[in-house]
Amino acid sequence: MKSKNTLKKVVDKIVENILFGTAILSASFIVLIVIVIFERGITPFISDNDGLGQVNLLRFLTGIVYLDGPTFLSNAYGIGYLIISTLYNAFLALLIAAPIATLTALFIAKIAPRWLGNLLRTIIEILAAIPSIVYGLFGAGFILNVVYNLSVSFGVQSAAGFSVLSTVIVLAIMIIPTMTVIAEVAIRSVDKSLIQGSLALGATQTQTQFKVVLAAAKSGIFTAAILGVGRALGEATAVALVAGSRRSGITFNLFDTTATLTSTMLLGMKETVGLDYTIRFSIGLVLMVIILLTNLTLNFIKRKVGRMYA
Amino acid sequence: MRKPFSLRLWIDGLLQSLTYLFSSVSFLTLGAILVFLFNQGWSLMNVDLLTYDYESNVYLATIERYEEPGNFPAMQSLEDNVYYSQKWGLGIEEGVDLLGQPSIIIAYIHPDSPFETLVNKSAVGPEQFPLLKEYLISKISYNDRATSLARRGAERMIQELDSSNSIFELEVTTKGGGIRGSLITTLWLIGLTLLFALPIGIGAALYLNEYAKKDQATRIIRSFIEILTGVPSIIFGLLGLAVFVPLVVSLTANTNSPATGGNLISGAMTLAVILLPVIIRTTEESLRVVPNDYRYASLALGASQTQTTFKVVVPNALPGILASTLLAIGRIVGESAALIFAVGSIIRDEVTLTDKSTSLAVHIYSMMTDEPANIALSSTIAIIILGIVLILNLLIKFISYRFLKGRLGAQV
Amino acid sequence: MEKTFVVKGLNLYYGKNHALKNIDLSIDSHSVTALIGPSGCGKSTFLRTLNRMNDLIPDVTIRGQVLFGSLDVYDKKTDVIDVRKRVGMVFQKPNPFPMSIYDNIAYGPRCQRHYEKKEMDALVKKALEDAALWEEVKDRLNKSALELSGGQQQRLCIARALAMNPEVLLMDEPTSALDPIATAKIEELIVQLKQHYTIVIVTHSMQQAARISDQTAFFLLGDLIEVGDTKSFFSTPKDPRSESYITGRFG
Repeated sequence: MKSKNTLKKVVDKIVENILFGTAILSASFIVLIVIVIFERGITPFISDNDGLGQVNLLRFLTGIVYLDGPTFLSNAYGIGYLIISTLYNAFLALLIAAPIATLTALFIAKIAPRWLGNLLRTIIEILAAIPSIVYGLFGAGFILNVVYNLSVSFGVQSAAGFSVLSTVIVLAIMIIPTMTVIAEVAIRSVDKSLIQGSLALGATQTQTQFKVVLAAAKSGIFTAAILGVGRALGEATAVALVAGSRRSGITFNLFDTTATLTSTMLLGMKETVGLDYTIRFSIGLVLMVIILLTNLTLNFIKRKVGRMYA
Repeated sequence: MRKPFSLRLWIDGLLQSLTYLFSSVSFLTLGAILVFLFNQGWSLMNVDLLTYDYESNVYLATIERYEEPGNFPAMQSLEDNVYYSQKWGLGIEEGVDLLGQPSIIIAYIHPDSPFETLVNKSAVGPEQFPLLKEYLISKISYNDRATSLARRGAERMIQELDSSNSIFELEVTTKGGGIRGSLITTLWLIGLTLLFALPIGIGAALYLNEYAKKDQATRIIRSFIEILTGVPSIIFGLLGLAVFVPLVVSLTANTNSPATGGNLISGAMTLAVILLPVIIRTTEESLRVVPNDYRYASLALGASQTQTTFKVVVPNALPGILASTLLAIGRIVGESAALIFAVGSIIRDEVTLTDKSTSLAVHIYSMMTDEPANIALSSTIAIIILGIVLILNLLIKFISYRFLKGRLGAQV
Repeated sequence: MEKTFVVKGLNLYYGKNHALKNIDLSIDSHSVTALIGPSGCGKSTFLRTLNRMNDLIPDVTIRGQVLFGSLDVYDKKTDVIDVRKRVGMVFQKPNPFPMSIYDNIAYGPRCQRHYEKKEMDALVKKALEDAALWEEVKDRLNKSALELSGGQQQRLCIARALAMNPEVLLMDEPTSALDPIATAKIEELIVQLKQHYTIVIVTHSMQQAARISDQTAFFLLGDLIEVGDTKSFFSTPKDPRSESYITGRFG
């Protein structure tokens, strides 16, 4: 009898340790990612790169030409312009997506009759489940044409539709669903007593919705925005198919071609070696830093604004 | 008493119109996407898509040595323009090849026909392959009479075939544009990824929910796992490239099909890392739903912690574990960026675990970055992917409401 | 005594539940009318019919007449916004908006029209003074209203309602969520306010009704059992059920 119990205890200990191991393993991957990307990403700046020489860090971070010189023969990489265009595209997409997501959430939560709200919510869920490659396909097959025709009617030059505008539209479409879901939860959890208080003061339903409900749901809506921008910064395949793979220069013109850190990382993956291959890790490292900084900044702003309104 | 029209009413009306307008955006977008995909891709949709190769190849082939002509009455009604050889069980019709030149197209093959499986005489390609509908025949050579040429027409070819008793060889062009390779790849990826991810994920969830103390250390572990959800998938691709690919290359170095670069196994490992947070979170959710009374009852009966966990808790948490599996499958089917890095984007018809290939999603990417981009076939594949994802989401919703008190939404 | 509200034959149904049964009640101007009764007796429901807040509840049917001066509150042509501007309401749990103190007070007026800064400053000051809150918050008008204590928040809500310059103030158990000191302050305020406003207050505390009201109405299970001058109601109630309630035999 006693040995059976000790056997059970031993087994328990072993099992617990195994499970602990899986938990530690799961937690270690983020550390692994950071270490690996850092290690690989730093290499071009501190090693000789098989005879091509060190890449200049300052030029890398501020340069406006992706590669000065022939591929595989030059080390003059610069992604400064990519950093700017990545942020530009992402925030422009946020600018479009945020009002749409917020008002759609308001509509579903407060205005629409039950059946319509549920229908719209289902549509949003379906959109949220669509993989990014399909959005990229939709962008390349449809949005490009739309933007091209648009540019023609404005009399503006456009490279068959590959443009900032196409990228921003596709990104906005992609982030609206998740943003809407989060905003809807925030709006629905606004205390009913606030709504009653507003109506009792003689405000209309619309005034109440826009002046009180949205104000009270502010922090949730901000969270949705932070998540949306994060997704937009990290999106790769969809952007690669509609951006136009710009190789140099900063532009804010909606109809110019563009590129992002992620789309540049993707291109040319089929055949790449040496520095051209390793530099992608450096770009990835910069991407992670950008996302981290953006998150920290936005969260800081959120807390600053939130303190006023608890 | 009439209300005077005030600024307030105008503003209210404007805001309301804006709200209705913006809310219709989602509706219109989904409609546009569906209309686009079906418009472009529906015409290519048929079952053959799943079995055909992507590449179209020309082979010189012959029938197996022991095969002989016989009597093979057609087992389905054939259209008027199909010429059928009952002796050989082969039905053909006239058509055009990919370049628009007149050619002979296989319309029907009797299941017992000697032509059903061909032996490849070319230096490349598989040793044997089935003769399938819509393949092209350029010529048939015989041992006992003159060669049949496609350009002389289908009726004549059948007459010449019927008059022969011994086939020397035929020149066959396989139909391309199939997604069999990518489909198989996707299935392999699902299987391997789940193999890697489920034990680790469920194990971690079990530890966190059943064993871990609610202290700082546990919180740290949890937050490290949660951070992964904010990482873009392309970064995971870099991880796969830097760690998993070399790992598999060295692990398979001494086997008879060693990996030399991107491969399915490292792709599965990469996907597993991406899926860990989702699997852990969903499994934990379902573990929490198991009433503590079950645990107490089991322990009070003298069962060990291990027995309690695996014989009482886990079986009751199965719906949630199933839901997390379905979520994972949906994510695997849709993932593209990470796989492009960790596996590659070369479309293959023959799939090996230690070599590059494309999943359905990456197949689309590969075609769309070609010149010219194949929007039609991409749309067809997209329809398939969407169908899979939607069915999975419905299943997850069903499980969630039935077993988990509606705690999950569609999160794929 | 002039009557602010005259209610005749008021019946209210929540679905099939007959919540208010044939209520006839008049509310005197510039006085405090207390509505008392055990939980679920309909006193809050009755209060809400006076400013059409029951409209917000689905499946509600209302029959009868509620006259506000010469205006039939439930007439189809009546503008409900207008009614709510003239009849203010304070709720049981203080519900300040997540905005500054200033913006809370200014909210109601701003919904109706634009105000110049000077005009609004004066309006806010007066409202806070009338609610006996000005001295305590005059230096932090731009701070969040949520930083105030419970009692202060409730006085803020009163000030917010007063900023609309209503004729009536409806109060639904305004002190039940507050401590005794804050309660006393608000009761003091109510007695002052009745000089300028008509006040109808729902309370579950008979002592409070006895302390501050001029007229008391006793509700039970949707019926109006008895209504009358507060002093005589509590000393010599006419209906035996009123007496049972007052002496604490139920409720």
